[in-house]
Amino acid sequence: MGRGQRYGIALSAFVAFAVGAVMTLSLLLGDNPALFGDQPGSAQLAGLLALPADVLLRLVTIVVALSILIGIANLLYVHVGRLARGKAYSAIVLASFGFTVYWYVMRPGDTSLLEAVQVPIESALAALLCLSLLHGGSRVLGKRADIWGLLFVAVVVLVLLASLPLAELAPIQAWRDWLMRVPVSAGARALLLGIALGTVVTGVRALLGQDRSFRG
Amino acid sequence: MAESTITIVSFVLTLMVFSYLLGDLPLIGNLYRAAVYIFVGMTAAFTLIVSYEGLILPYLQDIQDQSTSWTALGWRADITIFGAALLFGLLLLLKPVKSLTWLTNSVFAVVIVVGASVGVVGALNGTLFPLLYATVALPEDLTGNFNALLDTLLIFVGTMTGLYYFQYQVRARSDGSEEQSRLGRGFRHIGKAFLVTALGAIYASTLLTSLTILTERIGFLFQFGA
Repeated sequence: MGRGQRYGIALSAFVAFAVGAVMTLSLLLGDNPALFGDQPGSAQLAGLLALPADVLLRLVTIVVALSILIGIANLLYVHVGRLARGKAYSAIVLASFGFTVYWYVMRPGDTSLLEAVQVPIESALAALLCLSLLHGGSRVLGKRADIWGLLFVAVVVLVLLASLPLAELAPIQAWRDWLMRVPVSAGARALLLGIALGTVVTGVRALLGQDRSFRG
Repeated sequence: MAESTITIVSFVLTLMVFSYLLGDLPLIGNLYRAAVYIFVGMTAAFTLIVSYEGLILPYLQDIQDQSTSWTALGWRADITIFGAALLFGLLLLLKPVKSLTWLTNSVFAVVIVVGASVGVVGALNGTLFPLLYATVALPEDLTGNFNALLDTLLIFVGTMTGLYYFQYQVRARSDGSEEQSRLGRGFRHIGKAFLVTALGAIYASTLLTSLTILTERIGFLFQFGA
């Protein structure tokens, strides 16, 4: 690794740390006059502190939009290359892409192409998910026949049974309601809190420069 | 596009996707792949259109209008922000040039770090604090309502033991096995029961949703055939 590259990496890390510190402080302190008490000018100070986050968010939003365009251009480039190597399916991607853009330019605001192609394919794929879920679930349970597997099946059966619109199943529906309100709510909260803690830890690692995934 | 054309195209594409169930037979197996490739091409096109129409075009229109401003810094600052974003976009294109990778990485650094900041502050203010408060706070009226008190207690125990279940730091014995106190193991079992219950309910709900969509698609196919 040359000296120039080392300086480059150091610069990237410095930029990441500086921007991260400014952004986090601006998000935490900005637009919150209550933090500064009833002092005169606290609203202006809070607005001023929110400014860096506002500017950086605008900047990054446009950069992300541009990177999406670059990503799509890369997708097309890859498929042109594959088509040149004789992969016929890439012609379908390029044709459907070209036709959709042509349709949009020629008939702006017309959503019939979306209704005729996109919605049916998405719905059919989502419908296939039902069979995949059943298949995957049965395979997992076939391999793990323990107390946790039994509990899992019991909950699934209870929720599915309670969804049937039958008056005879009213007691099961009451059980399902309680299950959703208490144990499922508690488990979901634990999962969400775990995800939030994971997000905070990963985010702080990125902000401190410990996790330099941008080095590529 | 005429209504009948939309129905015919929908019917054909639905059958093409459902041909997946027949396995990898010659010709039929290709129909599913063709439908997926159509989907990929159209999704890329719609993403391009939405990105252009929803983000880039409004920004382009805004910077031409001197009476509007994105920030408190005024209209000229908007042009600077847009120019900087365009420059950053151009720098992203330099990724294949080895000697200039650090420039592209600096742009990635800004994007990742801004995303991380928003993620950290969002997770703290949007999930962590409100959920913790909702878990430890007692309902306002608990007088004589034993069931509500029990439910609140169960939610608290379920959330805390569920969180405890995610703790992977255990003391290692000399033979490599893990050492954990009986109390800790008990907490983990209770937490696991709550988590399995939640995952079972989520699985059943997802199954119900996809079953509803499957029923609708099969209904559509039969309706078309009739």
